[in-house]
Parts: sequence; structure tokens; C-alpha cells
Amino acid sequence: MGTIRMDRRLFLKSAGATAGAVAATQVGCLRYFKKGRSSAAETKEIPTTCELCPNKCSAIAVVEGGFVKKLNPNPENPKSRDMLCARGNAAIKQVYDPDRIKQPMIRVGARGEGKWKPVSWDEAFDFAAKKLSEVKDKYGPQGTLWSSTEGFQEVFFKNLGLAFGSPNLVRHPTLCLASVNLAYSATFGTVPSFDLLNSKFVIMSGANRFESIITPDTMDLIGGVMERKAKLVYLDPRFTVTAAKADEWYPIKPGSDLAFILAMIHVIIKEGRHSKDFVATYTTGFDQLAEHVKQYTPEWAEKETEIPAADIVRIAREFADAGARALYYAGRRSSWYQNDFQMRRAQAILNAIVGNWDQMGGMVPNAKLPKGEFLFMPWDEPKAPRVDEIETAFPLAAKGDGVYLKLRENVLSGKPYPVKGWMVYKQDPMNSLPDQAKTMKMIDQMDFIGVIDVQMSDMAWYADVVFPESAYLERTDPVEVMPGIWPAVVFRQQVVKPIHDTKPNLEIVQGIAKRLGLSDYFDYTIDQWVEAEFKDLPIPMAAEHMKKHGVWAASGQPSYGKTLNSDHRFVTKTGKIELFSERLQEAGHDPLPVYTAQPQPRNDQFRLILGRVGYFTHANQSNNVWLHEFVKENDLWINPKPAERLGIRDGAYVNVSSSVGSVKLKARVTEEIRPDCVFMLHGFGKKSKMQSLVYNVGASDAVILETAWDKVSGNAAFHETFVKVANA
Amino acid sequence: MAIKKKRYALVIDSRKCINCKACVVACKAENKVPVGNFRNRINEERKGEYPKLSINFEPEQCHHCADPSCVRVCPTGASWQRKDGIVLVNYDECIGCRYCMVACPYDARYFNEEEGVVDKCTFCSHRVDKGDIPACVETCPSKVRVFGDLEDPTARIHELLSTRRYRVKEPQTGNGPQLYYLL
Repeated sequence: MGTIRMDRRLFLKSAGATAGAVAATQVGCLRYFKKGRSSAAETKEIPTTCELCPNKCSAIAVVEGGFVKKLNPNPENPKSRDMLCARGNAAIKQVYDPDRIKQPMIRVGARGEGKWKPVSWDEAFDFAAKKLSEVKDKYGPQGTLWSSTEGFQEVFFKNLGLAFGSPNLVRHPTLCLASVNLAYSATFGTVPSFDLLNSKFVIMSGANRFESIITPDTMDLIGGVMERKAKLVYLDPRFTVTAAKADEWYPIKPGSDLAFILAMIHVIIKEGRHSKDFVATYTTGFDQLAEHVKQYTPEWAEKETEIPAADIVRIAREFADAGARALYYAGRRSSWYQNDFQMRRAQAILNAIVGNWDQMGGMVPNAKLPKGEFLFMPWDEPKAPRVDEIETAFPLAAKGDGVYLKLRENVLSGKPYPVKGWMVYKQDPMNSLPDQAKTMKMIDQMDFIGVIDVQMSDMAWYADVVFPESAYLERTDPVEVMPGIWPAVVFRQQVVKPIHDTKPNLEIVQGIAKRLGLSDYFDYTIDQWVEAEFKDLPIPMAAEHMKKHGVWAASGQPSYGKTLNSDHRFVTKTGKIELFSERLQEAGHDPLPVYTAQPQPRNDQFRLILGRVGYFTHANQSNNVWLHEFVKENDLWINPKPAERLGIRDGAYVNVSSSVGSVKLKARVTEEIRPDCVFMLHGFGKKSKMQSLVYNVGASDAVILETAWDKVSGNAAFHETFVKVANA
Repeated sequence: MAIKKKRYALVIDSRKCINCKACVVACKAENKVPVGNFRNRINEERKGEYPKLSINFEPEQCHHCADPSCVRVCPTGASWQRKDGIVLVNYDECIGCRYCMVACPYDARYFNEEEGVVDKCTFCSHRVDKGDIPACVETCPSKVRVFGDLEDPTARIHELLSTRRYRVKEPQTGNGPQLYYLL
């Protein structure tokens, strides 16, 4: 805008000719404007818990005249660090989204055609119960699949699936963090938190914590790096915001993080820099580890990772010197490669040998807080084995979560038995699973699909019946304990009445259950459920406290070192921290992480990598008008060198194709990515016309991602797809 | 009781900004800013060639200048300044001529098509007058902004400005901007 400085008269003279005309046209608007500002409705502040992502931050809703006007951060929850991100702030638009499903609907056209008949809740419940019963009569209760994503009301949905008699519940972890959870459990018997508030030296593989927001990690790390002189070393093929803020960024060759970690362990043990007392007291298998990593020299790792050997040696030394306050950060969406479990195991082992366990600035086992349980009538355990054959294919994996991609393969093949009914809660398998065409085939072979969701996701768009769930600001949910270094109990209470004909998930579950003759298992209200949970909170007037504050955080002070006495038994086979794992060996896996080089893209191919931005993460946020303003269409990041070779210009449309599909989107020619990789954001190219901002705009990564999974955990491997890129 | 003089200002530690846009959406909700308009923003500066790269983020909004050119050029007096330094638009007097938009060195104002008036950051004066802080300051995950009264020697911004180096943008305009960027 330059540096304009003039007095008012001069300015009027120079622009005055048009001023009168402009003024005249605006007068009419002023009255309307004044009217809008003069409302003096009653204002209420109601504490609640955000649901836009899995962080569950405490928020205070400002309600004016029955409308949610603003969401403010609630400083009482130490985990959410007195903040609310863009997504949390935009939750208001989830409620007042014109695209919302406003009443139950039954499909009348072909699946995905978008022809719907608005129906009453009774009709919708009757229809679903009839269809589920038909599937049960033909194929048994195991012929139904119940898939859901985490959320406070997920428990009711899972319970309906179990009470119905199906063993086939499948949740989100194997599309997310199953490999990291399993790797840390296999080593420490538990999945710890990372004390970034007090850490002095942090190494992060991918994870992109400054764009992929996790509380309190994101906030603690930015403070650590910028205020408390903590050092951050970051490995990522892409120059993310985290890379930009890091002290050192290495655009590591994709899939080779394990080589980097093994070489670090090699250096630390060779130079005797590990914490000898800690290793001797708390771990088992150190000698086998020392022998095993002899082969993994920094010079060898340089060839694998493209990180100079001298840097690996220096980083290993600095890391070991930071000792208890050094952290190799685990990350969260750990679904990258087929060796993912072993890569996370190597991180866990590296952390263990520098002695950062249960230390300030290190890894800390999660503290928990007590709450009561509502006792409901139990059902018989489902008799059939799971369709994903988790017991035999992934014996170490969490049975209650299932293994999604193996499950899809088995449903498609009809083996070990047919699955023909699919109930979905709060999940969009069309976008969250790789290879959308395969998911479509799975949809095609279903006799019945019912979806419960706040919005018309792509999955809902292909359903036979859609049950509109009330948005979180319109519901009261079960109480949740958030374990961590700063544990908290959080409560989500209704802030406004539902604005459409929607119901909370519990009431939807009850409606279906009643017609299936399962009412006895769901014979309670949300208020009764919540009251029972409040009962065992060790605070006076717990119910009143939670309604007034929305959160209880005990002292809010971390406690370190509770597991650091030589009598402590870790929940592992040996009772020690297992550097060498007999349990893995027995299950047919490498007891120590063994490196095998991952295939790399050839001349005309690129590796497709995925990631997030801070203002939306999940596919269900891209249609939020306040978040959509920042990215209206996703594009394909490509380095200028290959772009030039292929004649691809910035902003021009390109076709991106893999062995399973092809998408068209705009190229973003950028220096901020390795020349052998391309990157696209998740959540675009929707098929649902009731995602109007992103319907047919950009592209869905699910279309081109190929099916691959980690061998130990079954976690989807999302970075194994090679694509070709050509001008469209 | 003597009435204490106030002078509100914002200290910004851009290095801590991760471009998460929480401030932008919080402002949008708090102040009913129409879709397509913004009272605050995050400027981006991307530089370098692979793999020697840098990105800098810089949050910006109205600088609530000591001698604001927007107020000087306003033909009706709609743009005005409170005694505590907050620059506001009196919507009843704004004729939508947009001179102020041209006069602002920081591109901090927008024309509200729905209302037919020019609008801008108010430092959330309605919150500040109740003793709260602006929405953008409160919601920020990394607490990039520090809001306070320059006349209050106990305020944190006082401490920051007396112990840290900082810069202001476009000082040559003589506007006396009150957004202080820490170096």
C-alpha cells in the first residue's frame, strides 16, 4: 500500500468526485447494520469439550440468544494449554453448516446417485433393523461389520455391534497410530507421553508437529525451540513448518528412517554413551542389541538415508549427551511403510538406552485419573472369529480395534465368511482407506449400509440409510479421562439445542436396538450414564464441578519417576524394558529391528507422501466454510527440477496416476519437497454433493493410494505408492 | 481516584507463529467478519532453493497507530481513535468511501459489502473494556501475541519491549504503529 500521508482536505479534493456517489449508495445499508448490532440477548458461557479432532481441548462456548457466538479456550485444562486452534474455533460452522443432514434419509436411487427420501426416525430405525435382521438370518451376526472412529459416543455404537453378536468391530487405529502404539507397548509395556515442555534435544521423523497439532506437544515444542533453547532435528522429505522452525532439517530418503536410528544406536553404544546404570537396572537384551547394531555404521546409513555420516555421528553424540532430556519423538499417524513397526521399535530402543524413561524432559508413562463406570447389562461374547483373522495374521495387534485393510481384503474375497451388512459411525472409509475403487467394491457387495454422521460424508453418500447425529455443541456425551503427563477428566455438555431433526448417537443406537429386541442392553439415558461416571471422581460436588468447569485436572503438576525403582515390573514378558523381544521372536517377527532397504521410485515415478496443515486435518473438516477459506482446492507439490523435465508449469492441471487410480489436480511447483516425491493434502475431491465446497474440487488421495500394510501391526502403509505425473 | 492514562499495544513474537490460523478464525467468530474478509492475517515469506530453504510467518492486523492516517483522511470522522489508542470505525458515520483503506500503510482494512461500511480490527475493544484480552491473543496455541497497556509499568509488554529488540513496520510513514515485532 505504500506510504501515503496527506491531510483530509487534500485527500477529499483528489478523490472527491466519486465520494458523493459512493455515499449515496451506502445509506440504505446503514439501518440494517444498526439493527444487527443492537440485539441485547442474554449471554451464557458454557464449558464443553471440542470434537473437531482427537485432542479434546476444553472450550467455553459463548451462547447468545440460543446461538453459539464464539468458542474460547478454557484455561483450566492443562493439556489443552489454554488455546483453541482454527479447527476448534470453526466448530461453530459445523452446527450452522447449510450442508448438514437435517433429518433421517433413506436412499431411493442407486447407491451414490444422491436421491434421498426424507423419513421419520421411526421409518429409518425400522428400515435399518429389518435389513440388519435379514443379513443376520442369512449370514449370522458375524455377517455385519461395525466400523467407527474414536469419539465420546463411540462406545454406544460398539456396544450395539457386540450386543447384536458381531465380532467385527473395526476402529481407526490401523489407519493411524497402531504401529507406534504396538512398538512402544512391545518395548515398555505401555505407550508413554513425551515431555516436550522440558526436553532439551528432540529428534522427529516426519510427524510435523507444528502443522499436525497435538496437545500439549505442539505448544510445548514451539516454546521449547523458540524460548527454552531446546534443539530440534527434523527429518522429512518435505519442507514443512516444522522443518522451517527446526534447528536442523534433513530431507531424508523416504523409508530410511530406520537406518538413521540404527546408526545412532550404533554410535552411542560403540562410544559407550548410553546410560549404563539405567540399561543395567531396567532393560534386558542389551548385549544382543550391541552385537546386532555393529553392522549399522554411520557410513552405511549415509548411503541409505542421504544424511552425511558425520552428521549422524554428531547428532548421536548430542542426543546421548542430552541423556534423560533427549527424545526421539514417536509421532502419531505412524502409517507410512511396511517396516513401520520396526522403525518405531528402534526409536523406542534408542530412547531406552539413553535413559530418558520416566524422567523430566523424557518419556513419561501416562498418569490417569479415576472416574466411575455406568454398569449396563452385559451380553454374550460374539462366538464367531473375526473376519480380519487378526488372531492368526496379527497376533500382537489390538483385537478390539481390528485391522482395517486386511478386513477389507477378506470381506471382498468372502473368506473366511461373507460380510454383507455395514454400519458406520463417524467415519469416512471412502477417504480414510487407500484405494477408493476397492472400498467401492466393498460397498457394492454389501446388502445393507447404514451411516451415522453429523455430515453427509462420502461414505454416507453411498449409504442406504443415513442417521443425522447432533453436532457436539448440541449434545451431552460420556465423561472422558485424558491420560498423560498432565491428565485431565473432561466433560462435553450440551451447549445449544439441536437446530435440525438430529439425535445424539446414543438415541440413534437405542432406536435401532429397540427394533432388534436389544433394548435391555441400552436401558439408560445419557444423564444416568454421566451421573455414574461423576460419582467416582475424587472431588466434592463432582457433577456440579464438571458442569461448571468442564474439566478437572487434579493438581496439574507432572509426577516423574514413579516406575524408577528396581522392583518395578514393566508389563512385558520379562518385566523389564525389552530391547530384545522374545515375544516378537515367538510371533515370527524380528526380535531386534532389522533394516531392509525400501523400494525407491524409478526415473519417471514419484513417491506420493501425505501430511497435514494446521487448519484442517481430517476429511470431515474440508467443507467447513471458515477453514475452507485457507485452502479452496488441494494441489500437487512437485519440485521444480522434475517439473521442468516434464514440462509441468505451476498452477497447470496434471494427471497423477498409480496402479489403482488416477486423479487430476493443479501442480504446485515448489522447492519445498524432495525431487523424488510429490505431496497432496487430504480431504478434497469429495463425491458427496452435500460437501458442496469440496464436491468434485481437487482430488482425493484415497483414489490413487495403493493397499499396503505394516507386517507386525497391520497399520496401513500410506507412503508406499509410486505415481506418474503428466500434464493434463 | 485519578483516571489512569492507557495506551494499548501488541507485541508479536513471529518466530513462534506456526501459521495455524487460529487467530484468523477466532477473530472471524468474535467479530462476525464475513467470509472472504479478514481483520487479521498471517503474512508468509518463503525463500531459497532446495534444500536451503526458509519460511517466515508474520501475523498482522491494524497497527492502532499513534497518529493514524486512516483517521486523518476520513471525511466524516467515522474513523476515530479512543484515548487508549484503539482506532475504531463509527459505522453510523461511515459512508463507505474507502479513503481510509487507501491511506492505511498496512492494508489492515476491508470493505464490508453486506454492511456497506469499512471495517477493521478493533483490538476487540468490547472484550478489552470488560477486562478480557483480544480473541486472537487468547486463542493462539503458541502465544505469539502479547497484548497490554504501555502505560502500565507492570504489564508484560513493558518487560518485553525493555528487554528485547524489536521493530515496527513502515516507520517512515510517521503513523507511529503500535504492533511491535520482536527480533
